This record gives sequence, structure tokens and C-alpha cells, in this order.
Amino acid sequence: MDVDRFQYLIVMGLCLLITLPLEFLFGARVWRRPRRLVAAMAIPVAIFVTWDIIAISRDHWDFNPRYVTGWRLPFNLPVEEMTFFIVIPICALLTLEAVRRVLDRD
Amino acid sequence: MEYTWASVVACVIVIGVELLWLKTGLFKKLTFYVSWAIILFFMVLVDGWLTKLSAPIVLYNEEESSGIRFPWDIPVEDYLFGFALLTLTMLLWDHWAQRHPDDAASRRTTGPLIRRR
Repeated sequence: MDVDRFQYLIVMGLCLLITLPLEFLFGARVWRRPRRLVAAMAIPVAIFVTWDIIAISRDHWDFNPRYVTGWRLPFNLPVEEMTFFIVIPICALLTLEAVRRVLDRD
Repeated sequence: MEYTWASVVACVIVIGVELLWLKTGLFKKLTFYVSWAIILFFMVLVDGWLTKLSAPIVLYNEEESSGIRFPWDIPVEDYLFGFALLTLTMLLWDHWAQRHPDDAASRRTTGPLIRRR
């Protein structure tokens, strides 16, 4: 099996792994507030996935077949892009909440 | 230049949504700017890896962007795209806090990570 094809997904996995201590060592409490997490992410995911689908169809960007699985969701959306729009905002919220705890401010 | 314009417009809309509608006050908080400094550092690392021209994962059509890449090979539009995506998520995260009082309560009972004396 060609590991290179999983490079994009591996990068996303590393992002989740590296931010996990923010939840459990810094007390970010993002993963432990799943309802609020879904509520916060639903609209941005919908908007930016739509943007991505349009951008791909209008040839704004494309993906190197060497580093992606080739697995596509409806509307020709690469599985990696869907993963991106879920993983990266979670990383940002973990950062926000960890900073909030450390600074002890709102 | 469609990506360039779309990314600028997205940022203006997100800032407008906060100032005119959500009014969470996040832009007035130090937490927001410290968080963004940290996010920006990691964004450069991750996006730098995704966009490096020596072995790119994402390929950009230079006709639809400014062609300006910094640092390394990161298209500058990606920062605007990232700002709009992540700031909107943070704003809504804070916005929905009011709907989830149990979350706020759990934070109060656990207390700050570093206790002030």
C-alpha cells in the first residue's frame, strides 16, 4: 500500500493528536461539550464546504493524486477536504479555550 | 483572481456578522488575539506542508489567485480563508455558550487552570 496517498489524511490526524493535550492538560473542554461544538461548527462547515465544492468545480484549486486517497464524497468533494473542515476548526476552538483557561479571562 | 476576491469578501462578511449581528465581544478580548497568534504559527506549518511546491498536496490555479506566496509557498489568500473559517467558528462557539448554561457552570466549578492569589 502506498503511504503517500494518505499524506493529507495523516497531516489531519496529527493536527488532532497534537491538540489533544489542550483538552486534557489545559482543560479546554471542547471535546466534552459536543452539543455546543456541533452547534458552533454546523454553519461554518456548510458554508466553507460549499465554497470548496464551487472552488474545485471552477478550478481554483485541485489535489495532487499522489498525496490523496482519491476517495470522493458527493459533489466531487475529496474525503480529505471534509476532514479538514471538521479537524481544523476543532483545533482552533481547543486553542481558544486553552488560552482562555491559561489567561483566566473571557 | 476569484479566490483573492472571495477570500477578502469572506473576511469582511465575518467581521460584519460579529459587529452588526452576533456581538459576542470576542474582538475586544485578549484571548482572541493570543489564540490567533498561536493558530497563525501552526497554520503556517500545516498549510506550508500542504502547499509546498516541491511536493504539493493542494495545487492552486495561479490565474484565480494573486500568485503571492508567503512564507514558503503558502498563497496569501489562504490566511484570509483561514481567518474567515476559524473566526466564524469561534464567534458561533461563544454565541452558543448562552444556550448551553451547563457548559458555563462546569467551567465555573472546575475553576481556572492557574489560580490567582
